[in-house]
Amino acid sequence: MTATNAPAAIGLHGLRKSYGATEVLPALEAELRGGEFTVILGPSGCGKSTLLNCIAGLERLSAGRITIAGREVQEAEPKDRGIAMVFQNYALYPHMSVAGNIGYALKVARVPRAEREARIAAAARIVDLGDYLHRRPSELSGGQRQRVAIARAVVREPQVLLYDEPLSNLDAKLRQDMRMELAGLHRRIGATSVFVTHDQVEAMTLADRIMVLNRGRIEQFATPQEIYHAPATAFVAGFIGAPAMTLLDVAGEGGWLRLSDGTVLARHRHQGAALLGIRPEQVLADPAGVPARVIYREDLGAHSVLTLQLGDGSRLQMAAGPGRPVAASSDIRIALPAGALHLFDPLTGRAFARHPVPSDAMKVQDDAIPS
Amino acid sequence: MKQEIFRARALPWWLCAPQLLVLFLFFYLPIILAFFWAFHLEQPFGGGSQFVGFANFRRVLGSGEFWSSARATLAYMVLASGSSVGTALVLALAADRRLRLSGIARNIFLWPKAVASASIGVIFVFLLNPYLGIPAPLNEIWPGLWNPRTNPLHAYAMLFVANVWSAIPFSFIILLAGLQAIPEELHKAGAIDGAGPWRRLRDIQLPLLTPQLFVVVVLEVADSLSGSFGLIDTMTRGGPGGATNLLVYKIYSDGFKAYDLSGAATQTVILMALVAVVTGAQYLFLERRVRYDR
Repeated sequence: MTATNAPAAIGLHGLRKSYGATEVLPALEAELRGGEFTVILGPSGCGKSTLLNCIAGLERLSAGRITIAGREVQEAEPKDRGIAMVFQNYALYPHMSVAGNIGYALKVARVPRAEREARIAAAARIVDLGDYLHRRPSELSGGQRQRVAIARAVVREPQVLLYDEPLSNLDAKLRQDMRMELAGLHRRIGATSVFVTHDQVEAMTLADRIMVLNRGRIEQFATPQEIYHAPATAFVAGFIGAPAMTLLDVAGEGGWLRLSDGTVLARHRHQGAALLGIRPEQVLADPAGVPARVIYREDLGAHSVLTLQLGDGSRLQMAAGPGRPVAASSDIRIALPAGALHLFDPLTGRAFARHPVPSDAMKVQDDAIPS
Repeated sequence: MKQEIFRARALPWWLCAPQLLVLFLFFYLPIILAFFWAFHLEQPFGGGSQFVGFANFRRVLGSGEFWSSARATLAYMVLASGSSVGTALVLALAADRRLRLSGIARNIFLWPKAVASASIGVIFVFLLNPYLGIPAPLNEIWPGLWNPRTNPLHAYAMLFVANVWSAIPFSFIILLAGLQAIPEELHKAGAIDGAGPWRRLRDIQLPLLTPQLFVVVVLEVADSLSGSFGLIDTMTRGGPGGATNLLVYKIYSDGFKAYDLSGAATQTVILMALVAVVTGAQYLFLERRVRYDR
């Protein structure tokens, strides 16, 4: 069963949504390509669910336009938008059987019984639910319920599939299985998918492109690789990664980045104040490097995460390999490789254009540290 | 473990005693006495009773007055509980949709709960008085348009209005709570599945509201059989011409005005049996359609 012939692109044009005086989405502009799996990622309260509800037609826009497959739909009823939705709490009708849940939309649309039953069976097969068609939702496990919810969405053969944090009620193991299944489902039916989550692992694994949302604004809309390796803003840098990038207030002068107390951190030709971002796994131990004190240590088995305190009191996280354990409250020396540095404007949070770094400057050389 | 805490076997009984005593004196004892009197001939001012078997029942069941009262009682039961539950349901649905002013309404609709039905009766008798009340101007234009003292239909209409008014708080709050317990996401899912508001009401809200509807219907039906006394006593006194002389009021007037204690007790037993049968039937036939899945 293919959901759609030509995958539908979704256009968001000047999309604005406010509740009274509170503006949740201020003039959002984005193009979601047809057939793409877009993940909308952001902390709670960033407006991501509101945005999804607007696309679904469950919320009215305050201003702006939404197009699905080139057709303006912002005034259309949800059922006329060619969309289907999977909800966080499954939202199954508790008084209907699994088959009744999956087929409800078809029943409302007066699809003849024989065709209805065939389509229900086909949708149930897609999510491996064939044996449960006559059960009630209350007799199913969380994972099975979410499969029913997915089958209910798929049975309508939508052009666009919307997911509102569908995995957040499942336990970690099941969540991973469902991620795999969702990825497979997306490949099979090819509908444009929009997936809202606050879980970056889901975003990184499922998305073709991630839209990072913060206070209703798009911080970055790019592939997971770009989001991770070239965060466009300090917010994205501090949100993605586990543990996330450390952000330090630094000043650049004469080819060096210094902390507020003058400690030289790394070589960089940036001039003036900046936010320096570095991923914990890219911080290196270096006997000739910057002195730091280990104030906290979390051993995760595969690696441990050290929280370090630098000369000016600011903190930095470092992921250390499984090798020799480093005791808490010991002193170590670290190096920040120039290629791993991300610099952001401290006022706007936007990334400064990255300067090419000479390869010999990958490490702080002790003989080159100015006094 | 429980046994060790309450080692004294008598203690629980002592703790329950005050409640049990009250229950016995005001609930079980009257029932026992009603059964006793129903099979005896009682003297109106006490002193001696004579066992007569089913003679009281033969006498009561043989009187046309009893049967007309029983018919009126059943009709009142259906109409009063139906109208009060129906009104409360409409109001609860409106409040659940957050229509304008529903916040205030949610508060105000509870107030009648604090008013005794006799007081409600007195107030509505005054409000609906054909010469002094709200309908008075209409009666001046069309004399006899509204007169519950002479027209049985008007008398019933008056009773229903007062009954709906007094029954709204309980049903309203139970039904509204039931509606609000239906997750918002089910409405959204229904909307995406293409069901409009009315379709969602029929397919999602009402089926999920059946537990609350069942409780409210059972209690309202039982209440309409016995609780109508306060309204009838203050509003119509069984009139006009015995039209609103429902069983519960007929028992009172037969027993305490005509001093036919045995006849009143017999009808009490019959009314109790009726309440039991009706309630039992609701559990047998209605509860099957209740969906407890949530």
